[in-house]
Amino acid sequence: MPDIIVKPPNLKELWKLLPGLPSARRYLAGGTDIVTADNAGAEHSECWIDISGIPELLGIKETAGSVFIGSGVKIAEIAASKAARRWCPALTAAIPHFASPSLRNMATLGGNAANASPCADGVCALISEGAYVLLATKGGRRRLPLKDIFLGPKRTTLKKDELITGFEVPKRPHAGAYLKLGPRSYFGISKAAVAVAAELSGGAVKKARVALGSVAPVPLYAAKTSAWLAGRKLSAPVIEEACELVKTEVSPITDTRSEAAYRREMCGVLLGRALNSLR
Amino acid sequence: MTKKIDAIFALNCSVNGAKIEREIHSSRSLLEFIREDLGLKGTKEGCGEGECGACMVLLDGKAVNSCLMMAVQIHGRQLVTIEGIKGKDGGLHPLQKTFMAEGAVQCGFCTPGLIIASEALLRRRPGATLEEIKLELTGNLCRCTGYEKVLSAVEKAAAKRK
Repeated sequence: MPDIIVKPPNLKELWKLLPGLPSARRYLAGGTDIVTADNAGAEHSECWIDISGIPELLGIKETAGSVFIGSGVKIAEIAASKAARRWCPALTAAIPHFASPSLRNMATLGGNAANASPCADGVCALISEGAYVLLATKGGRRRLPLKDIFLGPKRTTLKKDELITGFEVPKRPHAGAYLKLGPRSYFGISKAAVAVAAELSGGAVKKARVALGSVAPVPLYAAKTSAWLAGRKLSAPVIEEACELVKTEVSPITDTRSEAAYRREMCGVLLGRALNSLR
Repeated sequence: MTKKIDAIFALNCSVNGAKIEREIHSSRSLLEFIREDLGLKGTKEGCGEGECGACMVLLDGKAVNSCLMMAVQIHGRQLVTIEGIKGKDGGLHPLQKTFMAEGAVQCGFCTPGLIIASEALLRRRPGATLEEIKLELTGNLCRCTGYEKVLSAVEKAAAKRK
């Protein structure tokens, strides 16, 4: 465990607190990743900053053009939100596949992104929704496409002390699906996962975004497959070809959870099922 | 600069219905706080990584894994441990009764977590179906009795609570 945990009540106090803290420090949100890492001996920060009480990071709000989901929002809260259900169908579909009911009461969407695991269910789903991530440092704010902040397992482009404040999903009427293959039906880390968000018009795809989990060093935005689907009717041959294409975009590895060849094959199978569910 | 920051945290919260105030070391885990500081030993540590559910408690009425939380995170909130789960007459809770009647307890290590998870579900969905019960208990592992008796115990409690 760290030597100390501090608990700033708001963002202003957080920025004031930072210069006086030990430099080996990390943010603590739900704790489901960082405390697990600490219990396993893989986390050695001197200081954790508990951001779970910071009001600026909470809540799901609708504006004229987008849905804002605070980084401190618990995964279980998303499932209960009308705005999220309406405008984030792939994210909503991912919720039952996200860990277990109790972990969903603890884990936050911001933590899911900051932890930067290639298997992060919430992140894959959000990438398919075309989400932006909102970042803050003392005196500075950035807004980036979420798909662009991941460098590799556990690595992001975030600067020191930079905080994920929330996510913005543009309001676009679309259909979504999330399918995951794990060691059991629920509560397992995925061997492969596919998120699809598609704006449809009369059986044809206007725009599609496909994201995949556990089959690349980062939560993967399948740019080629997404672009190829645009303008095409969701017929059986089109779906079949999309499934072949997506297999060329992924770079799975063999590890304790699964084998590379199986994972690659399953990307096609899952994408096929997901697209068929939107027809 | 660093030395000025106090590692002691003044924690205010409610535990099993009673308000408490404690000075704790800020990096105390919630599970240690419950078992060592409060002496409530019904909450167990199984895996320490959120897989088994033996450490489950209710926080503001929702099930959480206390092995993955820090004590500072319950500041201002309501904690209920297995010791706070009681029937209306102060005796056994209906879930405890159906667990006993169905023989859903063997070594008992997972039982507090299972009761907590089931209670969290029944507060939300008093007449929960078998399918809902199965989904809710995905985060609880039992290594001796198995799950059939547990599921039928929760199903019976749900049927009475409808």
